[in-house]
Amino acid sequence: MQLFLEQLTNGLAVGGIYALIALGYTMVYGVLKLINFAHGDLFTIGAFLGLTLLLSLGLTDHIGPVAGILVLVLMVMGLVAVIGALLERTAYRPLRTSPRLSAVVSALGASIFFQNAIMLIYGARFRVYPHDLLPTTAISLFGVDIPVMRIVLFAASLVMMAGLYYFVQRTKTGTAIRAAAIDQGAAKLMGIDVNRVIMYVFLIGPALGGAAGMMVGLYYGQINFTMGWVYGLKAFTAAILGGIGNIPGAMLGGLLLGVIEAMGATYISLAWKDAISFMVLILILIFRPTGILGERVADKV
Amino acid sequence: MKKRLLLTVLAGLLALPLLIGQAHAQIRIGLMAPLTGSWASEGQAMKQIVDLLAEELNNAGGVLGQKVEIVAEDDAGDPRTAALAAQRLSTRGIVAVIGTYGSSITEASQNIYDENKIVQVATGSTAIRLSEKGLRYFFRTSPRDDEQGLVAANTLKDMEFSKVAILHDNTTYAKGLADEAQSLLKDSDVEIVFFDALTPGERDYSAILSQLRNRAPEVVLFTGYFPEAGLLLRQKKGMGWDVPFIGGDATNNPDLVSIAGKEAAEGFMFLSPPVPQDLGSPEATSFMAAYRAKYNDDPASVWAVLAGDAFNVIVAAIEGSGSTEPDKIAEYLRTGLTDFEGLTGAIAFDDKGDRVGELYRVYKVDGEGRFILQP
Repeated sequence: MQLFLEQLTNGLAVGGIYALIALGYTMVYGVLKLINFAHGDLFTIGAFLGLTLLLSLGLTDHIGPVAGILVLVLMVMGLVAVIGALLERTAYRPLRTSPRLSAVVSALGASIFFQNAIMLIYGARFRVYPHDLLPTTAISLFGVDIPVMRIVLFAASLVMMAGLYYFVQRTKTGTAIRAAAIDQGAAKLMGIDVNRVIMYVFLIGPALGGAAGMMVGLYYGQINFTMGWVYGLKAFTAAILGGIGNIPGAMLGGLLLGVIEAMGATYISLAWKDAISFMVLILILIFRPTGILGERVADKV
Repeated sequence: MKKRLLLTVLAGLLALPLLIGQAHAQIRIGLMAPLTGSWASEGQAMKQIVDLLAEELNNAGGVLGQKVEIVAEDDAGDPRTAALAAQRLSTRGIVAVIGTYGSSITEASQNIYDENKIVQVATGSTAIRLSEKGLRYFFRTSPRDDEQGLVAANTLKDMEFSKVAILHDNTTYAKGLADEAQSLLKDSDVEIVFFDALTPGERDYSAILSQLRNRAPEVVLFTGYFPEAGLLLRQKKGMGWDVPFIGGDATNNPDLVSIAGKEAAEGFMFLSPPVPQDLGSPEATSFMAAYRAKYNDDPASVWAVLAGDAFNVIVAAIEGSGSTEPDKIAEYLRTGLTDFEGLTGAIAFDDKGDRVGELYRVYKVDGEGRFILQP
């Protein structure tokens, strides 16, 4: 029982990160029907920008670690959002009316470009966030020791996801995003500036992905230029699992994937962990082709 | 008119290699190394060391009265590129080749060198099968996985652990070493309470650590690479579990400590061939002085130093056999070279081309994050 609870918290912690990244995939897909393969690399960029800012600004020394990290995460979100918008402007918008395959190839190209750029700027070696930045205390719950930072990170991802949900549901821009997701042509006729809506999507998704990157860097310490690949793949899987294009689906899919991985590793086989996760994905797609919560961003949200 | 011009150009191109060949009447030694790709830091260190040794040799008059020239090719740490690199090197008049790092990369080049009768001295290729094929011109300065498995098993037995967990990462190297250690431990009273693989490249290994802790091993043998080892140590400390960890030679990298943090890395032990700074032999000491003078740093990896050893044994074989004939060089390496003082200790080769003698030592990380050779 104790092992089960421990693995549940382990799975939820990883799943929270997957969910945060999955939101970027799902929003872009919802509005553009495009898989943004460069999203995992935006996550990596977030991790590296976070490290650079952390080391060069010394904010944590001036205003304390908590406030410093909070400001840094916001800065990283802003910067990665700008990179995401630039990516959309240069790599996707010129191809908007081309066949969908062109945009997919462009996305793959952008991913390779980002990965190589990060390697050339920061080098191929592992980079490490400073240790002792975060407290290492743990609290005991039902006989399981849970590091406090894990809870904080999990809560932070939940807050960001809830914020996004509120934004999409309750604000005017959010309504415009949902409208564009249903039918871009009709949205245009209703006076919605679709280009602007798409720009918002490419600001929000990358911002969340960048924040996830910095959180991974802060908590796990080690980052390198290829880290976006594994996380991107897992988050993409999570998005499909929950129903791609569906925002609550991405959240659910991310958390579920994290928990499936942890449980599969414990009770079935460690080495087959990823195979088990993908088996679950395939099974769900066979019996419910649109994912757990269905596919459309607007109808179900 | 056009045709004649073309012919002249072609004739000129054909004559060019002859002219260059004449201008370089010297002994050429190949170096195949991952100068780019994910192991680029290893390959570049290999080249630095071989260049340094060649420069020293040439300043001292060369070998057989001739200067030595290093011909380097990049294998990118990739089997396909390695096959191309081996083919290219084979056409460039080299008498022997140093390299490379990575067993599967070396494997892709072995037959090409053998067919072209070029002596190959591998430097960071520990898979057992490489020397079991009966290739006449293949040698390696790096030890074999079965030797490391033996040292790992013996170390665990010597420290009187009775419940051991073995964790690998499903790569050829890590799985092989884990299997080797497991089969050796099975014959003794040591109980193996856990044997499984993690997925390299992830960041969160707490699910694995939770499961490991549940089996309550007295020690964990991790046979994978340093990035995962660093994270495991760090996360193990984070969950307040203080079981000792022992790693294989792929964890011998200073980045391990920066990833884990000094506190979490302290007490971690690993097996590795010794780096020259720990040997204190005159050869190792003078090499270290020259390396520091030229590159202003210590060589980071033992695999790069083994490339230096490969260069030294090739030169010794040319000198000792008085010839650049591949058959004579190979014969000399096999029988004539005994107790050659290399940068990593004494070197001699057996019939298969494997290095003779126990090479592995046990290292332990101290509180300052330094790797301390254990007596």
